[in-house]
Amino acid sequence: MALLLIFFFFIPVLVVIAVSFFDYQDGSIVEAFIWDNYRDVFTSAVTITEYANSLKFAAIVWALTLLIGFNVAYFLVFHVRGVLLQIGLFLVCTVPFWTSNIIRMISWLPVLGKNGLINSALIKLGIINTPLEFLLYSDFAVVVGYVHLFTLFMVVPIFNSMARIDRSLLEAARDAGAGRFRIVYEIVLPLSKTGIALGTIFVVTQVMGDFFVVKVMSGGQSTSVVSALYNQVAALQYPPAAASAVCLLAVVTLMVAGILRVVDVRKQLAS
Amino acid sequence: MNAPTNGNGRIEVMNVTKKFRDTTAVANLSLNIDHGSYCCLLGPSGCGKTTILRMIAGHESPSSGDVRIGGQSVVGLDPVQRGTAMMFQSYALFPHRSVIENVGFALKMRGASKDERNGKARELLQKVHMEKFANRLPAELSGGQQQRVALARALITNPRVLLLDEPLSALDEYLRLRMRGELRRVQKELGITFIHVTHTQLEAIAVADVVVVMTQGRIEQAATARDIYTAPRSAYVARFIGGQNVLTGVVEGVAGGLATVRNAEGARAQFPVDKANPAKGASLFAAIRRDRIHLTRNSTYRNGDELNAAVGIVHAIENQGTYVKVTLDLTTEEEFVAYMPDGEYFRDPIDIGDRVVARWDAQNLHLLEDASGGQQFAAADKDVALM
Repeated sequence: MALLLIFFFFIPVLVVIAVSFFDYQDGSIVEAFIWDNYRDVFTSAVTITEYANSLKFAAIVWALTLLIGFNVAYFLVFHVRGVLLQIGLFLVCTVPFWTSNIIRMISWLPVLGKNGLINSALIKLGIINTPLEFLLYSDFAVVVGYVHLFTLFMVVPIFNSMARIDRSLLEAARDAGAGRFRIVYEIVLPLSKTGIALGTIFVVTQVMGDFFVVKVMSGGQSTSVVSALYNQVAALQYPPAAASAVCLLAVVTLMVAGILRVVDVRKQLAS
Repeated sequence: MNAPTNGNGRIEVMNVTKKFRDTTAVANLSLNIDHGSYCCLLGPSGCGKTTILRMIAGHESPSSGDVRIGGQSVVGLDPVQRGTAMMFQSYALFPHRSVIENVGFALKMRGASKDERNGKARELLQKVHMEKFANRLPAELSGGQQQRVALARALITNPRVLLLDEPLSALDEYLRLRMRGELRRVQKELGITFIHVTHTQLEAIAVADVVVVMTQGRIEQAATARDIYTAPRSAYVARFIGGQNVLTGVVEGVAGGLATVRNAEGARAQFPVDKANPAKGASLFAAIRRDRIHLTRNSTYRNGDELNAAVGIVHAIENQGTYVKVTLDLTTEEEFVAYMPDGEYFRDPIDIGDRVVARWDAQNLHLLEDASGGQQFAAADKDVALM
């Protein structure tokens, strides 16, 4: 286990950190120790907009996946009777994962496109006259893509912590006069905290580390931290790419640390 | 919505049936419990006692029939509207809330201010001697302490009926005995109706005014604790409560209110039948308390030599401190036990394998009546065997 971690985690990260201090010239790396790559990252105005963009997506997607994921998990745990049906519905949730990310993203195109399913349906129904432009190649489309991809990562850990809640707690709350929403707010939500934290870590780190969904769904109009990084890699500018990767890693690590400070996730992972 | 506080806690369960899919948990059951009484629902697991409790609490609704509290039908009402409170088997304390928040939870749901609910919660915690633990989390308490907190939490709304689902089953023997005294004390102090579900006979007899013995979704006998113990209605109750030997045999003749009955081994006994006049050949059942049996060693006695006596081989001996439990093998299927006072036993101790005669006074026999008659007694016997 330790060996695996050393080979596949520590050494690559160390290499990236080392490379981030190298110089580069005409597509080749020059061994050196310079701070220029970091200076470029911190002084570039683009960095700010990229981070702002990624954080905005992360926040919106987090809120939406939490809302959907919490409700789906709640339904599966407390409303579906019978373990078989529960497992069956759970599998249904994973059906989109049977195809690759790329195919799932591309399959949104005919749905959201200018002459896609939604637009043509709305026009036929006479609700709109001209196709809605914002559906595809927009931030809206990016959010749709993310939510589609990542909601399951919210459902699973929340389902897991909800399934541990003793049903008699809900009855005790009802006995004390709590209505359905009060029970969710006072009992279910606090006891699902660890699941929500884990789901949040999954979703936020994946959104922060994504470039593909942004690229496809925004049609190149929107950027994320990693899409800039990707461009640098494509131009064979490895050292500045490594520097932004290190910065991103630091930011995401801080975010995860912040989440873990608020919620003690170990409680769930241990038991 | 104003919860009636300390209103009339008289409970009427009227012809209630409860079905879960294809199993019937409660079958056309009727039961009245007076306001301010301590009632125990007693029976083996799966007899429907918890289902009844949950229907009174409002966590389950009857498939048919009516449940009334204080004269009003409560079917379809929320627990709060019923003025009941329930104490759950595993206590169901909210693990993420402190003791005082747990106790004050119901008041929070009613919109009471923090000061108000903490004040009332502290008062109740004092009553159960838990005020020192107000800021702890439930996981930091022992089982007995959790139970006290659960009791305080249930009582904070001044319910007219408190429903307790196996409240003592999670405690060790010592705490169980202490807490059952405590429950009884609290009930007397508050004067509200307590309904307590248990499968432990001695627990029911120790705390309850009224004991309801249940089996297979129906009531076998509902009576005072003393009556249940000294005058069980049926062979099932006598066997389930324990402390009794059940005798059975065929009527040979009736004279002066006593039926002479002969069992399969040829032992003969007189069953008090009062004015009833059972036919010759009819099967009768009677119970006799185990501490009303006298044993004497005898190697020559044969069954039938005397009335109200039976011969058997000593099978097991257990010293219980104040008395000695002697189990005899009478070669009938039924276990036959005598409780001998320790003084009497140790004057001339009987040993395992000894041949002894068990004698009893016909006046101490208690005839077991059952409207269903002899044949269904056999069915009842089968139930016992299944348990």
